[in-house]
Amino acid sequence: MSRSATSGGGRLAGPGRATAPGPASAPAPTPTALPGVSARGWILALDTASSTALVALGDTAGRLIDERTWRAGYRHGEELLRRIDELLASHSLPVSALGAIVAGTGPGAFTGLRVGLATAKGLAWGLGRPLVGVPTGEALLAATAEAGARPPLALLLPAGSSDRVLVRDGSVLLLTGGVEPDLPAGTTLVAVDLDGRAPEAASSLGRAALAGLGAVLVRLGAARLAAGEPDDLARVVPEYVTLPRGVREQGGEVAWSRDHR
Amino acid sequence: MRPISGPLVLALESSCDETGVALVEGGRRIHANVVASQVALHAPTGGIVPEVAARAHLRWIVPVLDEAWQAAGVGWGDVAAIAVTRGPGLAGSLLVGINFAKALAYVHEKPLVGVNHLEGHLYAAWLLDPGEPGKPEPVFPLVALIVSGGHTFLVEMRDHLGYRLLGETVDDAAGEAFDKVGRLLGLGYPGGPAIMAAAAGATRRDVVFPRAWLGDSYDFSFSGLKTAARRIIAAARADEGLSADDPDARLSEATTAELAYGFQESVVDVLATKTIRAAVATGARSIILGGGVAANRVLRERLAAEAEARRLPLVVPRPGLCTDNGAMIGAAGARRFEAGERAGYELDARPSLPLATGA
Ligand SMILES: [Zn+2]
Repeated sequence: MSRSATSGGGRLAGPGRATAPGPASAPAPTPTALPGVSARGWILALDTASSTALVALGDTAGRLIDERTWRAGYRHGEELLRRIDELLASHSLPVSALGAIVAGTGPGAFTGLRVGLATAKGLAWGLGRPLVGVPTGEALLAATAEAGARPPLALLLPAGSSDRVLVRDGSVLLLTGGVEPDLPAGTTLVAVDLDGRAPEAASSLGRAALAGLGAVLVRLGAARLAAGEPDDLARVVPEYVTLPRGVREQGGEVAWSRDHR
Repeated sequence: MRPISGPLVLALESSCDETGVALVEGGRRIHANVVASQVALHAPTGGIVPEVAARAHLRWIVPVLDEAWQAAGVGWGDVAAIAVTRGPGLAGSLLVGINFAKALAYVHEKPLVGVNHLEGHLYAAWLLDPGEPGKPEPVFPLVALIVSGGHTFLVEMRDHLGYRLLGETVDDAAGEAFDKVGRLLGLGYPGGPAIMAAAAGATRRDVVFPRAWLGDSYDFSFSGLKTAARRIIAAARADEGLSADDPDARLSEATTAELAYGFQESVVDVLATKTIRAAVATGARSIILGGGVAANRVLRERLAAEAEARRLPLVVPRPGLCTDNGAMIGAAGARRFEAGERAGYELDARPSLPLATGA
């Protein structure tokens, strides 16, 4: 293994923080704690379900403070933590100032979701703070509505290179091949990551939805925390639309042992 | 607990279908070692489905970590470093452990070390259970045979973290061959323990399966054996008047036992013979046997007998440390940590990471 060039001190956080780019002296705002809110401090929201990855900083009142988005491609795993570190550093916040983690759960590309949720779980476990999983599909629909689109709304996302996923009315449906969604008249279609595979008007709304996703994740996450409804850290998993190829149903339970003897 | 001077390493393993978390001190002493095994989850499909494995890691990593952390009774102040498997393995599975570990290291400002899963199997030979009396470390130079459902290779180590690959499988892993032949014999998944149990009941031992020696090479091949097994089993079914493809029409117990015995002998003979030949040729002073197939008693006993005849100590970790686990990653991770290696934010899965070039 080659020695890392980016962490001479041997610690992930130290040197990264010291050299993090961005406004170095942004004043740290005072966190707002609502009466009766169990989570204190700041909220970090992240989403890796689409090709646009997102990290956002908010407060427990559900207000977006700042966010970073980038085209993640297939490199979520190499980028995500560095982006989180840069976001916190630009507000002079230590990671310990985070009171809760909010993570988009998809549906979306599995690799991105796995990186995002594994990172979110590691942060929440390490900090001893709650994790709230927010369905990315529903958050995107909420962001579209806030951008002024006329309801009812339906969201289309890619599932692999040929299938698509339809999200509407709280349901998630797989559309295989070229199957078109059966939608009530007057439905406004929103498409994310489907340029060329969806009407341009829908893709345009999708870009608006992505632009508002960070604010919605922070707000929905804060509301769930305020209601005292964080998730069971162990059980937060991506919104899986399909069973793995070759698996009809998952029979059997995972064998559990402290250690095989 | 008797102190072992050395850093305490929190280690995570998620390369295949076991979620493992361990706390290991000084590269040797296990403080906690928890494994969630997905064997039952994969049994219906008769093998590992990568997407199923990746999903299970994300589901089980927190409970496994909780259990290990509580069992060890340590605090973050005690932890010197975090080690995680970075490859080889299934990409979707590796990603879970790597990104979880990076987040932990980031939050607690701990050094992070990426570990090669294969060297983890080697370093399992250094591990001591909680409360186990100290025992001598494997002596260099050594040769190690690692055999499992995913790996079959023979390597020489002249010192810590130095590997010279002597040979590896050119097709299937030995454990894979056990699984496939186990299925052909109607013995279920995983095939290794089932074949060993069936073979133990063999009263006739006349059927001889072929051995793939591949000349003087230390490489292994099991695909020819698999093909031969299919032919031999089909012939035996015809002899007993069973249709070729009716899974409910099972071979008689006696024939199943005889064929299981013959197959196992072929695998064990090749593995043991090449390992001993390599040990002699390289002037090894000890031999390590590891990987899930090391749980096979026939292989262990055959290798032990041949090693003993040459006065070579054989080190075989107990079965739970031969299959994938976090402790072995902690053992190897401690060596890499002490050698000064550090990983950064960019640490990513390396599904095809080779052993010879290090982690
Ligand atoms: Zn292994």
